[in-house]
Amino acid sequence: MAKVQTLADNKREQQRAYWMLVLPGFLLYIFVMAFPTVFSIFLSLSDYNGGKIFGGNKINLVGLQWYKRMFADEYFYHSLKNNLLIVLVSVFGQIPLGFFLAYVLYRGLVRATDFFQTMIYLPTVISTVVVGILWKSFFSPYGTFPEIVRLFRAGYEYEINKHPMLPVLFVILWMYTGMYMIIFMANLQKIDNAVIEAARIDGASEWQTLRYVILPALSGVIVTTAILAISGSLKSFDLIFVMTAGGPANRTSVLSIYMFNKAFRGKPTYPLANAISTVMVLISFMLIALTKFVERKFGGRE
Amino acid sequence: MVQGLTYFLMIFFTLLAIYPLLWLIMSSFKTTTEFQINKLGLPRRWVLINYKDAWVRGKFPALIVNSIIYTSVTALATLTFSFMSGFAFSKIKNKATNTLYGSYVIGLLLTLQSIMVPLFLIVNWVGLYDTRLGVLVPYIGIAMPMGIYLGTEYIRSIPDALIESARIDGATYLGIFSRIIVPMAAPVGMTVAILTVNGTWNEFMLINILVSKDSLRSLPVGVQKFAGALTTDYGKQFAALVIGLIPMLVFYLSFRKEITKGVSAGAVKG
Repeated sequence: MAKVQTLADNKREQQRAYWMLVLPGFLLYIFVMAFPTVFSIFLSLSDYNGGKIFGGNKINLVGLQWYKRMFADEYFYHSLKNNLLIVLVSVFGQIPLGFFLAYVLYRGLVRATDFFQTMIYLPTVISTVVVGILWKSFFSPYGTFPEIVRLFRAGYEYEINKHPMLPVLFVILWMYTGMYMIIFMANLQKIDNAVIEAARIDGASEWQTLRYVILPALSGVIVTTAILAISGSLKSFDLIFVMTAGGPANRTSVLSIYMFNKAFRGKPTYPLANAISTVMVLISFMLIALTKFVERKFGGRE
Repeated sequence: MVQGLTYFLMIFFTLLAIYPLLWLIMSSFKTTTEFQINKLGLPRRWVLINYKDAWVRGKFPALIVNSIIYTSVTALATLTFSFMSGFAFSKIKNKATNTLYGSYVIGLLLTLQSIMVPLFLIVNWVGLYDTRLGVLVPYIGIAMPMGIYLGTEYIRSIPDALIESARIDGATYLGIFSRIIVPMAAPVGMTVAILTVNGTWNEFMLINILVSKDSLRSLPVGVQKFAGALTTDYGKQFAALVIGLIPMLVFYLSFRKEITKGVSAGAVKG
């Protein structure tokens, strides 16, 4: 009988400990992340236009009207197109380049690998604000970029408005390639070195080893980085906000800038801003479903 | 031949990565007048006046103190919550774990952008706009999913037998937490702390909308307001950027091994 008592006590103490450990953090998490996410969906379906949320004007549900308005807005497609451009730069620029750098370092094809790795990753850790202003000055018509081009082509006139997205894409490539390098490095290190050595001893060239041993082992990671590139594109805000603020004439805007402008520039249109953010969440959830699917198909990335 | 090409490419990309930063540092020692006629060369005369001006007019001491407060409190709180929840989720049986832990894992997928507008409205509504707490609470909440995910997965690998035998010896859960879990989970604590410091120190978007008082701004916001507004006074602008660059540079060079390890651990799930 006494034994049963202690077991029950034990159980009770265990449950009390569980909730004391979990609850403070979870309440904060609900306040900061869970509730805002749900609240955002609610706002996107409402006619809320500022003012008190409770006890102010009554907020009515208006259905999908803001989504309709968003899909009819040219600005939305401008922004989406730039998001896609960023994805393309990642997939065709950062990922191959990051892989190349990681491969060279991993295979020890150069000396001083530590030095190279440290330097190439460096831009990633710097505050985006610093990076943004630095490159904005660099690419300004009176800045250093036209000056450098003039070293090769006398009398060059720089027209910033011709391709305003190009500097932005270049800076994204410059700043984040190191991140892909690090991810590839980490996964390359998981490959059993003995397999590679065996292939080399059997007379496989460096290229054949890469093609038939290393790349197949990385197929899952390559897909994961591609998905990372898409979610990274959805996250891009600071850099563009600082470099161009979406201008000129919204031509460098992305979805997050579009949303920011609808909420914080001029007269706020909170429901529209929330419709945009809800669509962004939906896109990222679809990506995750895709990742899971790919993981299963490629047998995970470990 | 191939090796020569490999070296050439590696050196090229390394220069591409660091030359702009070296150029920035070099230019910050030129007067604006000199910069306008000598954009690429070394300064003819190295001057410190830009730093003196920027340091005072940009109110950098206060910005740096604010950033240190935001970053250290966020990192400490995130670490504490990550260990507490990680312990509970991985070592104490409860039916709620699936739902609770699952909701943090979903949180990993949410981007800051997607909650920025509602968070702004809610922070306003509860009266935390323009307060330190109004910045810290969102920062901690945003850092938590990654911390809790990494913490739980790591603490799971601590042998159950250790905890059970401590229980049999009469240890309380608090005792187990402080004497077994915290010391054993220290390595993952390092990873979580580094990821949080990196993310919080550089965070710009949210604090830019949650705070309007000068006295509450963080370093990135201060740099943006001060240096971003100087469109032609390059000397001061570059000095301000270098000041904004130094803390992360020092942090990175001191912890680069841990940072790269943390990033690859975090990125795969982020």
